[in-house]
Order: sequence, then structure tokens, then C-alpha cells
Amino acid sequence: MTGLVAVRDLRVSFRLGKTRVVDAVRGVSFDVPVNGTVALVGESGSGKSVSAMSIVRLLPDNAIVDAASRIDFGGADLLAASIDELRRIRGKDITVVFQEPMSSLNPVFTVGHQIGEVLRLHLGLSPRQAIGRVVELLGEVGIPEPKARVDAYPHELSGGQQQRVMIAMAIACEPKLLIADEPTTALDVTVQRQILELIAKLQDRHRMSVLFISHDLGVVGEIADQVVVMRDGVVREQGPVGAIFTAPRDAYTRALLACRPRLDAKPKRLPVIDDFMAGGGQPIVVAENRVARPQEERPLIEASGLSKIYRLKTGLFARKSIAAVQEASFSMWRGRTLGVVGESGSGKTTIGMLLMRLVQASGGEVKFDGADLLKLSDAQMMAYRRRIQIIFQNPYASLNPRFTVGQILVEPMKIHGIGANDGERFERAVALARRVGLAADSIHKYPHEFSGGQRQRIAIARCLSMQPEVLICDESVSALDVSVQATVLNLLLDLQDEFSMSYLFISHDLAVVKYMADDMLVMHEGSIVERGSAEAIYESPQHEYTRKLLRSIPAGYRRQQA
Amino acid sequence: MVPTLAGVILLIFFLFKFFGGDPAEILAGQVATQEQIESIRRQLGLDQPWWVQLAIFVKQIVSFDFGKSWMTNEQVSNIFASRLPASLTVMVPILVLEVCLAIPLAMLVAYYRGRLIDRAIVIVCVLAMSISFLVYIIVGQYLFAFLLGWFPVQGWSDSFWKNLTTYAPLPIILATMVSLAPQTRLYRTFFLDEIGHDYVRTARAKGLDERRIMFTHVLRNALIPILTYVALLLPGIFAGAFLIEIFFSIPGLGREIYLAVNRSDYPVIQAVTVYLAALTMVINLVTDVLYKFVDPRVVLR
Amino acid sequence: MAAIAQPMAAAPAERSQGVWAAAWTRLKADRVGMVCLAVVAAFMALILLSAAGIVAGGWQLEKGVPYANPGFLGQRPNVEAQSIDLAAPKGPPVDISDIDPLAPKYAEWDKRAAEIQTSSPPRAETLPFGGDRWGRDVLAKSIKGAQISIFVGVFAAIMATCIGTVLGATGGYFGGRVGDFLEWVYNVFTAIPNILLIFAFAAVVGRGIDTVIVILGLTGWTGIYRLVRAEYIKHASREYVRAAQAIGASHPSRMFVHILPNISHVVLVQLSLLVVGFIKSEVILSFLGLGVPIEMVSWGTMLAEAQTELVIGKWWQLAAATAFMAVFLTAFSLLTDALRDALDPKLR
Repeated sequence: MTGLVAVRDLRVSFRLGKTRVVDAVRGVSFDVPVNGTVALVGESGSGKSVSAMSIVRLLPDNAIVDAASRIDFGGADLLAASIDELRRIRGKDITVVFQEPMSSLNPVFTVGHQIGEVLRLHLGLSPRQAIGRVVELLGEVGIPEPKARVDAYPHELSGGQQQRVMIAMAIACEPKLLIADEPTTALDVTVQRQILELIAKLQDRHRMSVLFISHDLGVVGEIADQVVVMRDGVVREQGPVGAIFTAPRDAYTRALLACRPRLDAKPKRLPVIDDFMAGGGQPIVVAENRVARPQEERPLIEASGLSKIYRLKTGLFARKSIAAVQEASFSMWRGRTLGVVGESGSGKTTIGMLLMRLVQASGGEVKFDGADLLKLSDAQMMAYRRRIQIIFQNPYASLNPRFTVGQILVEPMKIHGIGANDGERFERAVALARRVGLAADSIHKYPHEFSGGQRQRIAIARCLSMQPEVLICDESVSALDVSVQATVLNLLLDLQDEFSMSYLFISHDLAVVKYMADDMLVMHEGSIVERGSAEAIYESPQHEYTRKLLRSIPAGYRRQQA
Repeated sequence: MVPTLAGVILLIFFLFKFFGGDPAEILAGQVATQEQIESIRRQLGLDQPWWVQLAIFVKQIVSFDFGKSWMTNEQVSNIFASRLPASLTVMVPILVLEVCLAIPLAMLVAYYRGRLIDRAIVIVCVLAMSISFLVYIIVGQYLFAFLLGWFPVQGWSDSFWKNLTTYAPLPIILATMVSLAPQTRLYRTFFLDEIGHDYVRTARAKGLDERRIMFTHVLRNALIPILTYVALLLPGIFAGAFLIEIFFSIPGLGREIYLAVNRSDYPVIQAVTVYLAALTMVINLVTDVLYKFVDPRVVLR
Repeated sequence: MAAIAQPMAAAPAERSQGVWAAAWTRLKADRVGMVCLAVVAAFMALILLSAAGIVAGGWQLEKGVPYANPGFLGQRPNVEAQSIDLAAPKGPPVDISDIDPLAPKYAEWDKRAAEIQTSSPPRAETLPFGGDRWGRDVLAKSIKGAQISIFVGVFAAIMATCIGTVLGATGGYFGGRVGDFLEWVYNVFTAIPNILLIFAFAAVVGRGIDTVIVILGLTGWTGIYRLVRAEYIKHASREYVRAAQAIGASHPSRMFVHILPNISHVVLVQLSLLVVGFIKSEVILSFLGLGVPIEMVSWGTMLAEAQTELVIGKWWQLAAATAFMAVFLTAFSLLTDALRDALDPKLR
């Protein structure tokens, strides 16, 4: 065995309640070489995190690992090792970086103390020596003013800096293997780029192996040497990154690669996983590009000077103003999609909230069908409520857990007086459920019985019940797996064609926005920094921030030129 | 703080004014003529409109002059000052003991969570909490003082040291025993909550053993809700021990209030209530400041 | 911002169950919980029977000799029960009918007395759980006391829960001035130590079952207020409530049709905790003479009597009251724990 870690026939199940056992990992085998990067790729529920955590046995209490599984490291089976031996390895030879840096750091200890803890424990350094080494480490991971930062608490740092601290903690003892569990998923795209570059640099300098877990193929293509594709607890395909990306053999791998909206094409319909799996690996590729509906003479919505200023109390009398949105002006046309792209804190979500009057604007006006939406009274606004609707980001939070699907779909009809009686309303609800691709008996079920993608469809159906003219999609597919994203996006496009709805498509994911949008806005710290057609922005970005954003997109795999 | 104090004053004033009996009649006693009652009413200022009475009430509070107890004719401020030390002599040791014992017990139970000992201790705690405090005192007094004679049944003296070593131990032991169960259960919840957090997983990933994680990482974080809870208990140390004081004839503030309630001695009840409320607010302010040292995320405004 | 961690691999399709149905299924699997449920149900049945007078209706009757021994200790000497035997006076009765002004009436009165049946059944030497100072049946008193104490506890808890929930919902949902005002009210009530507040109320309103319920209800709502307010603040910014706002649902609709069902399980658990706490408070109040009126019995009044009885060695009233209370409260507390586990939404 030449590699660093060899995972053989790993089987892990979880005991839920008294009787139920769920299999999470069903016979997974892969190798991690010395001084190389292996990526575990899969969607949620694929078992990739569980497989990686099994290496250091960081599993929840109700996990059951099969006795026949083996994980070889340094000549010993880690699964059979005693807990003391394991503890000697953890933090020293094999270290972990987790997904959420804020909650993974202890809030009551300083950053220096937490990093120093590993040094004192494994290397036996005295507290003074440890602090010195900590300062070096902080500098190495790119934290500015490391000497001052040693005494900082985690909540005083930004998300990116917190993740750097986690990485510093992980490389402190010169580990042989670094397990990174979705380390950049919770970060902004520009910060993600920095962290990825940092990990790559550290891997090279310290000659350590990295086991990188991700759902994002773009990221994986950039940094991995070997790729292991997982689905439903089994390995679908594994091999060198070049082979996987240019000549994938497994149908699922091919599907994953194809489902992402590409930057260079705009097909009428995105290919979905089912296309690949059902067609025996041959995709049904729709070659023709989408044609956008031409702009009408008068825009449907004209927003000018929109602003939202939050005043925070910082002291007894002092107040601080934070502008979430400043002087935003834009127009939307019937049947066309306006895309809004930006990172967290850019104000893109607030724009949607302002249009819906879910948040009260500090200034500006929104002209819709002759009226200024921001100046209407609550009663007058009711008439407009059915014409502008919104789909939220989190499918697990946007449906009331105590309502059945039927109740969710019928409620807006009741409020706006659609349908003559309850019977007719239920019939409409069934029709809506079918329209978005759900079975007719869904209306008797509760939201928790559905997956994320299905819940988003229910949310879409809820909006459809009122037949709106404008639909705001606030990060509506960001929380979904790639394969599910494609189906939901296809549904949205179909509906747009059928009902001539205008979309305000808000997202941080540039590829998705480019695919969906006809016109685009780029936002940064509350202001619109660039606008134009989607193609124009991608081909020739004018603003510095737009260029930075475009550079940060994980490029995926690019075959190395000799 | 000031608006709250104003609210307390208003509440007490209106409570006693509109729901209480006529003070003049109570003060005059059973056999009094109408003129006597009227004259008392004039003396107390009860014939004035209610806002004047409220003003008088406020003035009394601010100048620490509540007049005299209707029963004993003792100055109310004097009552307050003389009874307080006795209450504190008993309550402060109880508070210290119950917190210091409950924390390690809760940590122990949280360490062995899910196992039989955890379940068993929880059930024992629930059982212990289902028996009234009264029963503990009655049985405790009977067993340890009356039958076995290890402690005096009741009593108090003038010497602080004698009180602490002779008269206070039995009440302290009984009260601590009683509050150990609910506090242990509560702190156990705090510890279990903390153990479920992500930073514990990080600590394990660093190779720390469970004991060290419990004693440094978890304990330090659990102190935050524990401090919150203890802060809630603090105001209770002044009057909360009334049952103990009644049973053991300890001349403390709680017993004084109880006696005052029994004989409808309004000035005492009103004064003590308002002052204790003020004291509670001061304690809250102090604990707010203490928070800063325990939780670095707190920003003082 | 990106893929939110989804729950463990989509569970196999379950029958559509609402929260309560799912919780009931989970509760049925918990053996300790079911035993406690049975015990609590038995007590409730007992209380209903007692309230209807079918059981323990005659608790006031002095059925036994004073300090009657319990059945299982029958043969112990009961010194206190024996009345002092005065030696009968010696000498012939003196006839004073000539100076006795009432003498003519004696015959008439004797006749009338004979017409009125007063049955004085012989007093029992022992009673099942023993007797108290007047020979009243301790078992009957325990049951009646259970009825009173539990009744007070439950209704006070319901009252406090209603007040706390409505105020908490209003304060948490609306925030702003309304929320600040309610916070001020909360601060005022919590600034005064709880017992003191109870004493102050008790001083002005006096004894009685209704007043005890009102006192406990008016002073005990603060905990629920805090909890419900926090929950409403949390839920009011959740997306399903924003979605309701987006489709045009009104404020009351959002507060009570959307949010309230989502926190009702939390409120239920708090209600149960309050019941336990209030029963204990009522016992203490009755013990001190501030609770139920003299003609009623509660576990508290039983304990008050028990204190003096213990010194002369009569321990059964103390044991009975304590045992009944302990069994009920333990079962109820454990049931509350089981209920909380069954309703735990984290498992969904």
C-alpha cells in the first residue's frame, strides 16, 4: 500500500429512535495518496461527510460502523484503534476543518488560546512558546496583524478570517492529512477563492494530503488530483480529475457535470439527472438556445431611488446608520427576467423585500401599473399583493410546518377571493400541485414529508395560485442540490413562458443568474455598480468589483497545457 | 431602572389602596368609635385625593421613612435593618452551597449522559422535587433535632459566630438538600445543550479527551446560563427563606413579612416590597456588568 | 448562503401525521411515559369522583376516635383517644325542681329530643390510613385534598398560561412601543421577589380557593411570557411568516393561525411545569393559613396538622399527604418530560 490512507468497504449506519436504522455509507472504498488532494463529491445524503469523518471516528453517538470495514493509516486500522491512540492522531497527524467556522470555534476563548491548545497538547510547548508559534501560524494563513489578533475572540473576526483560524489550528502540528469538510460553502464567493488558494498553497508547502469534501464540481475541478463521486452511500466513480471531467464513464457523473448551467451556452432547458439515468447515459440535450421576449415599450415596474437605511443604537444616545440599499433604480419588463447578483451584505435580498413591502423603504418610489407601490395604504396594497409574489431561499423554513400542502395552497385563494367555495379551491390546489410536478395526493401531506426541491415547488405553486405578474426569486435555488436546481429552474422557465411572468432573479451564484437572466444588475454594499444585458456583463465587465466577482468563479477543470 | 421602580411603586400603591381593607379601620382595632376612625384617617392623610396620597407615599420611600409598624410601633426602617443580617446569615451559605454542589453533580450526570446512572439520578431528582419543602423541614427538624439531638430545634442568638455554627447549620442543610435537585436538573440541561454545540466537535477533532473538554470548554460556556440563573436567585436571598425562618424561629426579614401579612401590617409590607424591588434592580445591574467578564460577546450599552 | 445541510437521508414515506399524532405515536413507545400517563389519569378519575361526592364525600365526618390508628398498626395503644374518665359523683341527686325555673320545660324537651334522631354511630378504633385529631379519615382527607390542591394548581396554571401567552405573543410579535411597554410590566413584576408578591396579594385579598387561583395566576405568568415572547420573536422573522405576509395574511391571522400552532407544544410543556409548581405553592400557602378556607382541606392543611402530631408519634397524616403528593407530582413531572421528548421537533 503506497498511499497515506486506505478506506476499504466502509459501511456506516445510524440508529434513529429505538428501532429504525438508516444506512448512510454502503461499502465505500478509496485511497488518499501522500502529498495529493482527493475530492469527495456528492450531493446531500450521499454519505461523503460521514465517510470522511469516519477516518478519525468523529461520528455522532448513534453511528454504527460495520466490523468488516477497515481504514488503514500508518500501518494500523483506525477503526480498530483504541480511543487513546486515536486522540494522539487527531489534531496532530490527521486534522479537520469544518464547514461553519463561527460555530466551530469556542466563543469564550481567544483565537490564540484555541490554536495554542493543539500545540500545547501534542507538541508539549510551553504557553509562551505556543503564543510565538501561533503568531507565525496566523501570519502564514494570511491574517493581517497577527500579533494583535492573537487575543481576539472569534466573534470579532469575519467569516473568512475565522476559517483561516480553523485552518491555522489544523496545520499547527504539521499533519499528514487535512480533512476539509465543505470549508468554503458558507463563505462568499470572493472569500472562497482566497481560502481555496490558501489551502492549495499550504498543501504544497507542507507536503500534506488534503481530503476535500464538496458538492461544487467547479471547485473540485480546480483543486483536486483525484476525484471520488458518491451518491446514496456508494461510490459511483473515482479516478484522476482529468479523466472524470473529460471522459466520465458513470451516468450519474455525466449527469452531475451536465446539470450545471454553463457560462457559454443558454439552452432552452437544462439537462437533469433523470434524463441521464433513464436514457442509459445518453443525455437528451436540447441544442437550441433560449430566446428572450423582446422588451415592450413601457416597463412593467420602474423603481427609482430605492433606499433602506437601518439605524442601530450603539450607545445611550449614539446611533449608527447602515445603508442596506442606496439609491437603487432599475426597470423590469413583462415576460423578461432581471437578474441581481452580489455577495452577502450587497443588498440584493433587501431589494426584493422592498418591492414586496415586507420591509419598509426609507426612500424612493416603485411605479407599477400607474401606482407608486410604496405610497399605498395597507388596504390598497392588498390588490397589488396578488400581482407581485416571492419565493424565498430556505425551502425548509418557508412553508408552515403545521399546515398541510392543501391548506398552504388554499390560504392565498381565500384571502384574495379566488374560487367560489372551498370545494373549488381544493380542486384548483390539486391542479396547481400537478402543474408543478407533484402527485395529486400531496395536498393531504405535511411539508416535512417532502424533499427540498419538492418544497420549493410547493412554494412556487402557492405563488401561482394568485397568478402573479411579477415573481421575485430570492436565492430560490441556492439551498438545493445541483440536480434539483436544474429541475426547479426548468420549471420556472416553463411557467414564465406559459404565464408571461416577469422574474426578479436574485442570487450569489453567477452561473445560475447568467443562465436565467435577460438583464442583469451587479450589487455591492448596497449600490448597483453595473447593469446591462447578461452577455454584455460577462463578456466585458466594466466595474472593478464585477471583474473581481467573475475572477472568483471556480473555473472547473481546465486541462493543463504542457 | 427608574421606570421600573416607578412601576413597582405604582403597583404596590394601587394594590393596597383599592384591594386592601381600610387602613384606618384596621389600625383602630376592633372596638373603635367612628370619630376615632375618622381622626386616624385624617392623621394618615387618607381623606386626601389619591394623587396626594401617592405623592406622600413616594416621599416616604425616598426619605426612607415609612413610619411605624402598626402592630409593634417599631420604626419600619429599623425593622428592615435589624432583620436583614439574620436572613443573610442563613441565605448566603445556602446559595453558595447549592450552586457549588449542583455544578459538579450536573457535570457528572452530563458526562454519563444516556447511561443508566443519568436516568436514575434524573428520576431521583424528580422524586425529591415532588416532596414538599414543608415535609423536609418537618421531618428534618423532627429527626435531626428532636430525636437525634444533633442540632437545636429552633432559636437564634445575638452572636454572629454562634448563629453560624449552632443555629444555622440545620436550616442550611435542609434548604440545600431541597434545592439541589432542581438546580442539578437545570444545570444538567445547560451542560447537555453545550455538549451538542459544534465547538465540542472541533475540540474532539483536536485530540482532546472528554474530561478536559468537559472541564474547560463546556464548563466555561455553561457558566453563562448558570450565571443568568444565579442572578435570578440572588434577590430571593433576602426574603425567600421565610419558611425556614418561620420553622426555626429565626428573626429574619421573611418571617417578619409573614407576620406582617398575618396582622395586616401594611407599612411593613409596602416598605419591604418596594425596597427589595429596588435591591433586585441594583443586583441586576451588577450582574449585567459581571456578564462582560463571563461572555466576551456581550457589549455593554 | 449555499447548500443548507439537509436532514438525514429522506426517511421512508410515513403516513401523513400532524405534530400531535406523531407525538402520540412516539409517546406510546415510551414505557415510563405511559406508566406515568396511567397514574395521572387515575388521579384525574379520582378527583372527578371526589368532586362529584362519590368518593371521600364524607371526609368531614368524625368517623374514628381521635388519632385513630391506621389499619395496619391496629393494635398500638392510643393513649390520646381515651377521654379522661371522671369518677362519677357520689351521693344522691338533689332535687331542686322547686327553685329551678326551667323545671316545667324538662318533660316537653325530653319529648322533643326523643323525636329527633341523632345517630351517633360508634366511633371506629382504626381507620384505613388512620385518623387525625378529630377522628376524621385521613384517606378521605387525602383524596379530597388531592382534589382541591390539583384543582387549584391546574386552574392557576391555565390562567397564568393564558395571560403569559397573550402578552408574550403581543410583545414578541409587534415589538416597538407595545413590546417595550410589556417589557416594563414584566420588569415590574419580576423586580419584586415572587413570594413577596404573593404575600402582598394575599394580605389584601385574604383566603379562599378563588383568591389563591387568582393570586398564583397573576404572579406566575412571567415565565411563560418570557418564553412565548422569545418564540414569537424567533418565528416572526421566519420565512413562512414572511410568506404569509407576502400573500396578504392579516396580523391576527399570522399571530394565531400561523405562529401559535408552531409553539403550542412549548406552551404545553410550560403549562405542565407550572401545574407542578403551583400545586407546591398552594400547599405552602394553605400550610401558612393563607390558602384554602378553614372548612376545606388541602394537602397543605394536612401538613399543618401533621407537624404537631409528629411530636406525639402520630405520623400517618404526614405520610399520607406526602405519599399522595409525591406520587402525583413525580408521575406528572416524568410525564411532562416524556411529553417534551415526544414533541421534540428536532427529531423531525
